[in-house]
Amino acid sequence: MTIFGAPWRQIADSLWGVRCVWLRYFDVFRKSLVYYLVTTFSEPILYLLAFGFGVGSLVGSLEVGGAEVSYRRFVFAGIIGQTLLFQGFYEASYGGFVRMYYQKIFSAMAVTPITLSEVLWGELLWDASKATLAAEVVVLIGTASGDFPPFAPFALLPLAFVSALLFAGLGLAVAARARAIEEISYPQYLIVFPMFLFCGVFYPIETLPRALQWLAWALPLTSVNSLARTITLGFPFQPWSIAILAAWLMLLVGYSRRAMVGRLVK
Amino acid sequence: MTAPIPLTITRLTKRYRLPSGGDIEAVSDVSFEVGAGECFGLLGPNGAGKTTVINCLSGLYPVTSGEVTLGGIDVHRDPKAARRLLGVCAQEDTLDSDFRVFDQLVRYATFFRIQVEEGRRRARALLERFGLNGRADDPVESLSGGMKRRLQVARALISAPKLLVLDEPTTGLDPEMRRVLWDILMEERAAGTAILLCTHYMDEAERLCDRVAIIARGRILDVDAPSRMIARHMGTQEVVDELRPGVVWRRAPNLEDVYLKLTGTHLRWERQEA
Repeated sequence: MTIFGAPWRQIADSLWGVRCVWLRYFDVFRKSLVYYLVTTFSEPILYLLAFGFGVGSLVGSLEVGGAEVSYRRFVFAGIIGQTLLFQGFYEASYGGFVRMYYQKIFSAMAVTPITLSEVLWGELLWDASKATLAAEVVVLIGTASGDFPPFAPFALLPLAFVSALLFAGLGLAVAARARAIEEISYPQYLIVFPMFLFCGVFYPIETLPRALQWLAWALPLTSVNSLARTITLGFPFQPWSIAILAAWLMLLVGYSRRAMVGRLVK
Repeated sequence: MTAPIPLTITRLTKRYRLPSGGDIEAVSDVSFEVGAGECFGLLGPNGAGKTTVINCLSGLYPVTSGEVTLGGIDVHRDPKAARRLLGVCAQEDTLDSDFRVFDQLVRYATFFRIQVEEGRRRARALLERFGLNGRADDPVESLSGGMKRRLQVARALISAPKLLVLDEPTTGLDPEMRRVLWDILMEERAAGTAILLCTHYMDEAERLCDRVAIIARGRILDVDAPSRMIARHMGTQEVVDELRPGVVWRRAPNLEDVYLKLTGTHLRWERQEA
């Protein structure tokens, strides 16, 4: 063994542990494929149909930054971010709480050669993977209908995964702090729904009063929507979006892991 | 060279903060070891610190001071290597209800780097041994409490551990199933597995354990072979139990008498002496 041997072996060992946990989730997903496909994809598809075609035919088109865009294209792009938010948050919050509190599988796995840290990375990466998959289905539908350019499914992948990880971090932090499963409703109504309604999924946030616009920019979904529309619709690039996402990502992933370790380890 | 001792706990102390604030010393200066082919009992009332000892020895909790080694490996310095030697059956139900009985064992085996084919072979053998092979394809939730308990012990054995840790394994088992489990534990012991058994059932400890430690309020009060411990604390004098008014039972002293005397939760002995 060289002096560089030990750390590399440790890194490989940890990656193996995270992979083991991720595969456990994937196996559950695969075994109940129909259930997961229905629960994962029906929601974004319903939003696409209702707002894209329903509301879209009423509104027609809107002008953003001097360019005209059909409402259907605008809202299709917004539903990418909304799907990442809902899928990432719900899988990690309710799903994570059930796994941690009722099934106790975090503690069961953390006394095998897999560490609690690896269990939590596996959890977050799985939640993010599942949300990314759901969002990619939206992108594929938008690409097939000609609303997004053909490269959109590939170009969006990094943004989708990072955003999904961020919202999974929010969900896992909530799961770690909730004393009972009902308490997940607080952040659901106070953080998730406000983001869904005020962060530019359904209308450009420029239509809001200035104070609400600042509030919207402080929340991460506005940045996700801004970058998603830059990639899919060619909207102006707002570089501070990347800084906002990076800050939220580090804060939420770091905090959720610390909070969950604090809950399970004395 | 002799093989390393499956479990050594040296001067383990564990303090932690309570949710309401304030510190509690759950385990104070606890030392013991469990050798290959030995069954060691940890006996104590609820809240005595048994489960905290288990959480420290598995490396899940950091220790305040002291050291734990599994097969000579410090569990806090190298938890991944140390835990390959460890099988744990927790007090609470930690079965993964997203998996069926058989798949559950195979999935758990992968956490120990056991290949799927080998995992299946071991899972089949364990289900046979625990009388669960008829339920292999059933969801965990459909099992009775006693079956879940057996499955959880079986899961702890899938990695063929050098040290098997069981926290109240026979809770909820009927007398027949309790004996089936006892037989399996004695087979494991005979094969050289070290067993740490936490239990409330003194008859179980007396029957299975080579040595027992009695623990209360985080401290070990005494450690010895059950028969020697009974002789030291109770002598050979008959115990007179008044079961109910007018019904008196004269019997030899047992481990439960020692336990109650040492943990001070019962005054029967003093009453009888008086």
